[in-house]
Amino acid sequence: MSTYFQGIIILAGINLIAVLGLSLLTGFTGSFCFGQAGFLAVGAYVSTLMTMKLNMPFLISLSTGMMATGLISILLGYPTLKLKGDYFAIATLGFSEAIRLVIENLDKVTGGARGIPGIPTRTTLPLVILMAIIATVCIRFYVVSRHGRNCIAVREDETAAQSIGINTFRYKQISFFINGMLAGLAGGLLAHYVGFIQPSMFSIIKSTELIVMVIFGGMHSVTGATLAAVVLTALPEVLRTAAAWRLVAYGAVVVFIMVVRPEGLLGSWELSWTSLRVLWLSSSSRLRLLRKR
Amino acid sequence: MFIQQIINGISIGAVYALIAVGYSLVYSVLSFSNFAQGEILMIGAYIGFFTLTLLRMPFSIAITVATIGTGIVAILLEKIGYRPLRLRLSPLLYFMITAMGLSIFLQNFAIVTIGPNFRTYPDVIATKPFSIGEVYIGRLDLLIFVITIISLTILTWFIYRTKEGTAIRAASYNMRVASLMGINPDRIVSIVFFLAGATAGVGGMLFGIKYTVYPWMGILTIKAFIAAVVGGLGSLPGAVIGAFLLGITETFVAGYVSSALRDLFSFALMILIIIIRPGGLMGVITQEKA
Amino acid sequence: MENAILNIINLTKHFGGVRAVDNFSLSLSEGSIQAVIGPNGAGKTTIFNLITGLYKPTAGEIFFTSQKIDNIDTFKIAEMGIARTFQNIRLFPEFSVLDNVRTACHLRANYSILEGLMPTPRRIQQEKQLKEFAMGLLRLVKLDSRADDNASSLPYGHRRRLEIARAIAIEPRLLLLDEPAAGMNPDETQKLMEFIAEIHKKFNLTILLIEHHMEVVMGLADHITVIDFGKTIANGTPDEIQSNPVVIAAYLGVGD
Repeated sequence: MSTYFQGIIILAGINLIAVLGLSLLTGFTGSFCFGQAGFLAVGAYVSTLMTMKLNMPFLISLSTGMMATGLISILLGYPTLKLKGDYFAIATLGFSEAIRLVIENLDKVTGGARGIPGIPTRTTLPLVILMAIIATVCIRFYVVSRHGRNCIAVREDETAAQSIGINTFRYKQISFFINGMLAGLAGGLLAHYVGFIQPSMFSIIKSTELIVMVIFGGMHSVTGATLAAVVLTALPEVLRTAAAWRLVAYGAVVVFIMVVRPEGLLGSWELSWTSLRVLWLSSSSRLRLLRKR
Repeated sequence: MFIQQIINGISIGAVYALIAVGYSLVYSVLSFSNFAQGEILMIGAYIGFFTLTLLRMPFSIAITVATIGTGIVAILLEKIGYRPLRLRLSPLLYFMITAMGLSIFLQNFAIVTIGPNFRTYPDVIATKPFSIGEVYIGRLDLLIFVITIISLTILTWFIYRTKEGTAIRAASYNMRVASLMGINPDRIVSIVFFLAGATAGVGGMLFGIKYTVYPWMGILTIKAFIAAVVGGLGSLPGAVIGAFLLGITETFVAGYVSSALRDLFSFALMILIIIIRPGGLMGVITQEKA
Repeated sequence: MENAILNIINLTKHFGGVRAVDNFSLSLSEGSIQAVIGPNGAGKTTIFNLITGLYKPTAGEIFFTSQKIDNIDTFKIAEMGIARTFQNIRLFPEFSVLDNVRTACHLRANYSILEGLMPTPRRIQQEKQLKEFAMGLLRLVKLDSRADDNASSLPYGHRRRLEIARAIAIEPRLLLLDEPAAGMNPDETQKLMEFIAEIHKKFNLTILLIEHHMEVVMGLADHITVIDFGKTIANGTPDEIQSNPVVIAAYLGVGD
């Protein structure tokens, strides 16, 4: 397999991990997060500093990055998660921009706007695939658990959710935390794949790309989010020529989806044994009908 | 220097006020924050720019075209993006996503078609500043302030003295009841968006004149949001007060502390207000009925 | 009052200048069915919102089994055993009929967040039990055949029953019903009354009811409180209330 192709899969896997967190937080729990890039940045910078300044082994760096990001999400969550939807969105955006400003200004430590070059490229294809699969499976299990149902209830109707004993703040906090951890992991993997990091890599554009993936795939489907992450990472690579129009298309498609089919491509459909069987049965019965003619 | 800062603050505050007022207006009637307001501002700035440069119209014509043109664009955006969601009673989240989508689309469309370069407005007014004693007031700043006051006055007159304005105020309290009284919600929403677009158009053009025009100047909408929140989301006087307050304090932070921290300060101010007095300075209270 | 499961003392709630609830008191004995009636806007739902912690009282106290609850989070109050339905039926629209109830059963399981991420035997076992319990409740409200249907596809009357099933799923001691018969024809209303009487007995519930349909109120309630403009204007058994001139005056006619 060519390195180019491998690279696309690695990037898709990294994006997928970040998108899974966002899918849980925004899609399933209903908290619109505009600041995913900020979490990626924290994971990237913390893990990089662990590897390069403290000479830690890769997995330790990754874990530290994850935990740092997780911790920050808990701290950020306290004042912001009790805010209404649009306030929360702006607050996360503010957070993301604030992180970027902090990184740019702490240039002794972070290399400022120029960033940190020469990061050992420890991220391998098997590692990313493994982590992506584990993350997907875990999130998939989470959303069908009683905790997942509670998150969805929070999204659907917070007041009604509270009336059946769901601690809505706590569940938002947990989703925010899981999102933080996954974004931190993605950031660390990204840093050690690309080999250098700079604040401009973690701008609003990055946050936007990730949110768009969640919207495309359907905010109620882990399968959808997975597909969207993979397709929307691979497609721009394939359609290199029209790069400038990519974001234009994204914007138009997002509006289109919201107006025509807000449930996204797959709606609430999830890949599972039951759904595969249903698909199989319905398609085979259709085939039988065709043959009868 | 101190006075100079205040004047700068008022100048940028005026631009913020024009955007924030449109923001609060839409929020008061539809209960949602139109994040695409910034791109509407950007369109206004470009319309003004091209009217002045390509069509070579005088300033007064340009600003009229920008105002009305942007208002119409705003109505179009509403019909395309938000009306379908309104009719379906979609949750707030969907509106936010659509706003984001419109924002991305418009911004990048501008980048691809018009180009990412910064454009400078031609000088619309002599640059020699006035002087009152030792203080120099730029004519441009004065112009911006005057135009803003005129625009806000017209808007206030419309909201409080016309039939349509009263309908808007009725709708802002309760859209459903207003519609039972014979008010056409679609028409009200269109009018509201026209007003929001018009004020954003003026604001965009003024900003373009004072600074520059570029496709992602829509990021200013965040400042407008902060201003509206500080004043009390949904309150028009609040938006204006919040905007000037933000403009002035922000300029002071940039001048006396550090310009890099200016945006950080603005966010911090908003978070502070949200935590201490969520209704903003005007104390807007919205209680959800179970 | 002995055996009072709910004690509301001088409850007051102001919204700005509006006195939504004004010195309201109520004592609910365990196992009884009581009704609060009054013209629209009299403050009845506000009382429910105060009991369940959605609003904080301006003054007054609320005791549930002698525990002060007027400053506690809504979800904790639900955990303590107070369930409610809403005037305009707030189901979870994206969820199936089954999941609307099954979600409410979450208090019966205790597997951790970590176990939520993976299929442990304990989780699988508890989920199985939750499903059985939820299906049992659906059978009770005769919605089990529509378990996998989307909740928003149900007709109005069924949606009301589903909401009540969801409320019972948290195994409450006190059930607050906010206009359960709203929008129902006489036949449906009759069935609803029988249903409420049934669950009252079957689950040993104490029920506080807001209602406009007088047959429901007269048929079910042991005791009625009448309020208007946030204040109690009358108090007593159904017979006493029916002949009370103050009530008749405030109501401008009884029944829908």
